[in-house]
Amino acid sequence: MSLTVVIAVAALLFGIGLYGVLSQTNAVMIVMGVELMLGAAMLNVVGFLRYAWPEAVSGSFFVLVVMTLMALEAAVGFALITSVFRNRRTAEVDDLTELQG
Amino acid sequence: MSDLTPLAVLLLAAGGALALACLEQLIAGGSPSPVVVARRAAATVRQPLSRPETYDSWLFHLAPPLLLVAAVTALATVPWAPGFRGIDLETGVLVFGAALAYVTPAVFMAGWGAGRPLAVVGGFRFVAQMLAYAMPLTMAVTAVATPAESLRPIAIVDVQHAVPMLVSQPLAFVLFLPSVMAVAFIAPFDLPQARSELGGGVFSAYTGVQAGMVALAQKVLVLAAAGMTAALFLGGWHGPLLPAAVWMALKTLAVAALMLWTGRRLPRFEVEPLLTFAWKAAIPAAIGAIVWAGLVTLVFYR
Amino acid sequence: MSELSTALVFWPGAVVMLAAGVFVFRTPSMTRAGLLLLVALAVEGLLFLALASQFLGVLQLLMMSAEMTVMVFFMVMYMPDPGGLMGMDMTHQKRTSTSFAVAVGVGLAVLAVVTDWPATTLPADAPDVRAIGFEVMGRSMFTFLFAGVTILFSMVGAVMLGERGGRFDLARPGDERRAEQETEG
Repeated sequence: MSLTVVIAVAALLFGIGLYGVLSQTNAVMIVMGVELMLGAAMLNVVGFLRYAWPEAVSGSFFVLVVMTLMALEAAVGFALITSVFRNRRTAEVDDLTELQG
Repeated sequence: MSDLTPLAVLLLAAGGALALACLEQLIAGGSPSPVVVARRAAATVRQPLSRPETYDSWLFHLAPPLLLVAAVTALATVPWAPGFRGIDLETGVLVFGAALAYVTPAVFMAGWGAGRPLAVVGGFRFVAQMLAYAMPLTMAVTAVATPAESLRPIAIVDVQHAVPMLVSQPLAFVLFLPSVMAVAFIAPFDLPQARSELGGGVFSAYTGVQAGMVALAQKVLVLAAAGMTAALFLGGWHGPLLPAAVWMALKTLAVAALMLWTGRRLPRFEVEPLLTFAWKAAIPAAIGAIVWAGLVTLVFYR
Repeated sequence: MSELSTALVFWPGAVVMLAAGVFVFRTPSMTRAGLLLLVALAVEGLLFLALASQFLGVLQLLMMSAEMTVMVFFMVMYMPDPGGLMGMDMTHQKRTSTSFAVAVGVGLAVLAVVTDWPATTLPADAPDVRAIGFEVMGRSMFTFLFAGVTILFSMVGAVMLGERGGRFDLARPGDERRAEQETEG
C-alpha cells in the first residue's frame, strides 16, 4: 500500500467517469459521470492526506467542500434538466441542438 | 472492542427484537408471551420463498439483507453500558446516522425489485419521507453533540450525568423522536407498508426467510432508535441505585413503549401533511434547536 | 489501522468500486445504474475509512446514500426507458469516448505509477475529528461561510429553475400542449 496505488485507482475511477460523461446521451447519466470524477478527486486528496501530509487538516476540509459541491452540482443539474424536460419533453442531450451553427 | 463484541451485538439484536415483540403484544392489550412470538417467527421462516412474476431479482433479494445490516450497524453504535458498545468511534453518532441512511435505498430496492405498482409507490413514498426526516434527525443530533463537544455517544452520555438533554434541550427531543420513528417506518409513519392503502406496500411480495429478515430488521431499527434516544436525551446509563445497564434497558424500553403506544393511538399520517410538516416546521425548528444548543452550551456547560 | 488491514480493505474495495463504476454505464436498468453508483461511492467511503480519514469516510457514507437515491428518482423520471426493458441504446460517440477515457484513465494511472511520491508514515498524533472541527471553525471559517452561502444560492436557483413557470413565471412553449392534453384528458 502506498500513495502510488491510491492515485492509480483514483485515475482509473476518473477515466470511468469521463467515459460516462462523453458517451451517455441522457443528461442525468452525464451528471452521474461527473459525480464519479469528483469522487476520484476526493480519493486523491484522501490518499495525499494519508501518505504524504497527514498533518494538513485543510485537506480534509477541501474534501468536505468537494462533497458539498457534489450535492450542489446534482441539485442544480437536476433543476436544469427538469426545466429542459418541461419545455422539450426530453432529457437527451442529442436533441438539444437549437444553438448549433 | 473484544472478540466477542460482534456476537454480543447479534444476541442483543435477537433478544431485543423478542422483547419488543412482547412489548407490542402488551400494548395491544394482550398478555406478552415469548413462546407465541417465537412460534409465529418460526412459522414465517418455514414458508417457501416467493418469486414475484415481474421483478428485478438482484434488488429484490439484496434488499432484506441490506436492511438488516443497516439496522444492526445502527444498533451497534448505541452505548449500552459503560463497558459495552459495538462500534466506538469518534464519529459515533454520525455512524448511527449513516447506518440509518441505508434504510432508504434498502426499502426503495424492495419496492422496485418486487415490480408491483403498489410496492413501487411505497418505495417512492419512503424516499420522500426519509429525505424530509433525515434532516431534522441529523440536526437534532448536532444539537445534543454541541454541549458534549464530541460526536462520540459515550461523551454525550457522560455530559448528562446531572441533567438529561431532555430537560436542557426539549426541542431537539421533540424533533428527534418523530424523525427516528419515521426512519424506522413504524406507525403512524408506516407509509411505505400501509396495509390498508397499499396492500402491504413495499414488503408485500416477501415470504419466508426474507419476510422474517424484514420483520427482524424493523424490530432492530426500533430498538436502535429507542436506545439512541435513551442515550442521547434521557441520560443513558446514569441513574441512582440500579446498575448502569439496567437503567439503560429500562429507559430504552420506556422509549420503545412510547413509540409503539403512539403508533397505536394515532392514525397513519397522509403523505402531504407529513412532508409539509417536515419541510415547513421541523427543519426550521431544528435550526432553532441548534441555536438553542449553542446558547445552552455557552451558559450552562462551560 | 495497520498497514495490513488497510490493504485488506483497500484492494477488494478498489476492485468493487471500479467494477461498480463501469457497470453504472453498462446496465440497461436505470434503477440499477443509480444504485451501482451508490455502491461505487459508498465503497469509496469505506476506502476513506481504510485510509485513516474517519470523519470523511463516515460523512461520505451518510451523504451518498440520500443523494444517489434521489438520483435514481430523476433517472426514472427523465429516462425514456427507466426499467431497461426495451433495450434502447443510450450512448453516442462510442469509439471516441471509449478511447479518450481509456487514454486519460490509463495515462494518469501510468503517470501515478512512474512518479516518485512522498511516503510519510502516519504519525501517532495525526489530526483527529476535533482538529477538522477547529479547522472548519477557525482558519477555514471564511471558506466555510462561503460554502454555506453557495448552498443557499444553489437552493434558490434550483427551486427557481425547477418551478413550472420558470424564472419569470411566464408561459413556456410546452404550456399550450399541456393545456390541450389536460382538456382532452
